[in-house]
Amino acid sequence: MLYALSSVIIFFIFWELIALYSPSPYLPDPYSVLRAFITILTVGDVDGYTLTWHAVVSLERVLLGFAVGTATGIPIGMLLGIKPTLKGAVTPIIEPLRFIPPIAWIPLSIVLLIGLWRYIFLIWIGVFFPVLLDTIAGVKRTSITLIQMARTFGADNKKIITKIVFPSSLPEIMNGLRVGLGVGWMCIVAAEMIGGEPVGLGRLILKYANLLQIDVVIVGMITIGLIGLALNYLILLLEKRMFRWRVEIRA
Amino acid sequence: MKKAILLESVSKKYEVGSSSLEVIKDLTFDVNENEFVCIVGPSGCGKTTLLRIVSGLEPPSSGRVLVFDTPPDPRRQKFGVIFQEDSLLPWRTVLGNVKFGLELQGYKETEHEKIARTYIELVGLQGFENYYPHQISGGMKKRVAIARALAINPDLILMDEPFADLDAQTRSLMQRELLNVWSKLNKTVLFITHNVEEAVFLAQRVFVLTKRPSKVKQIINIDLPYPRARLSPPFISYRERILTAFHEELEGI
Repeated sequence: MLYALSSVIIFFIFWELIALYSPSPYLPDPYSVLRAFITILTVGDVDGYTLTWHAVVSLERVLLGFAVGTATGIPIGMLLGIKPTLKGAVTPIIEPLRFIPPIAWIPLSIVLLIGLWRYIFLIWIGVFFPVLLDTIAGVKRTSITLIQMARTFGADNKKIITKIVFPSSLPEIMNGLRVGLGVGWMCIVAAEMIGGEPVGLGRLILKYANLLQIDVVIVGMITIGLIGLALNYLILLLEKRMFRWRVEIRA
Repeated sequence: MKKAILLESVSKKYEVGSSSLEVIKDLTFDVNENEFVCIVGPSGCGKTTLLRIVSGLEPPSSGRVLVFDTPPDPRRQKFGVIFQEDSLLPWRTVLGNVKFGLELQGYKETEHEKIARTYIELVGLQGFENYYPHQISGGMKKRVAIARALAINPDLILMDEPFADLDAQTRSLMQRELLNVWSKLNKTVLFITHNVEEAVFLAQRVFVLTKRPSKVKQIINIDLPYPRARLSPPFISYRERILTAFHEELEGI
């Protein structure tokens, strides 16, 4: 705790020094960022939207994309994990796709989609692949003995999936959800580049980048970082609650 | 007497690439209802394959398998199978694990808890209902697996070296308790082991299998009353007889 605190203090001292001796007139020091933070939080930005409003709108968009990413990633992952031949067939499509960054998808999504779907699509790009890959990994790690055991009790394929494969893959799936939510959240700036609306944390950053007011840009960056941290922590907490049966295996 | 298990000239071949591996060849035996039969044989002799065939998980390549006069089918018959490996669901408690078979066998949900608790008590695990598998010992896990198998009131109990991973003391304790349960419940048991002493201690009849491809080398009736004393002269002489047959098979490997 003490170490963590001192590293934060050292970080701010460095920042202050760099701002002080930097030749650029646009690099703000921590104090002006704090001032900008308070202004945006209480008064709002040039269009009158407060920081909380920006954050809520961005969260809403990310959660929508996350929901779609989960609703597609888990079932497709289960299917591909269970059917290795199908997985082999689609691997040449999936593998290169997952290395294309969200920003590269912007022009296509403008051409293909409208309105809210553009946000959802760009965030989905970030969420889908981690969820998909971890779900497949979880399914593959299901113990053959447990499947045979269930068969000797007369389980059919549907029961094997719902009662053995899914619960046994759940720790990996949750890990995929956590990573996916993180990556999806990181896509928010890219997603909000294309939406015309003036709200959202990504929008806030872009707006003030154009105005060359870097202090507000940093306020947006820090807010994105802190909310990402909080989301990650929330899912970790949920995992800990759900997987008490696994606690000692991990230790 | 009614036959619980009947195998007639059963063979099992696995195709591995272009070659084929014959695991079981021309295997014939029967097990009576309520009988306790142990199968011993050298490792790799297809004991586990045999159990998979009897429980209907795999069809034989040729020959006939009947369990209570029909081809085995776990969806229509009730088999209590106990594996050598840990087969408990790690995400379920002891109680949840014992309920598992009941859920699959279509018992009424209101009955699950009561039946599960009865069998948890039968194997001496009352008080551990809410423990997860990682919190209990290897011997206790085996008891849970046995309770889970018995809870569905199986027609047939199939055990694949269930006590092989346990330490010697726990193993002999589990053997005695298994006999207790068996005498209480009147079930047919087919018990696979490579431990000759275990076979003599438990079984009414011992089938010694040959090395691969397996068939029955010898059937030995153990005419000793339960509980059996492991150090008594007749016990030792049975053990020696089976060991002799067993070792003849080991030499060829």
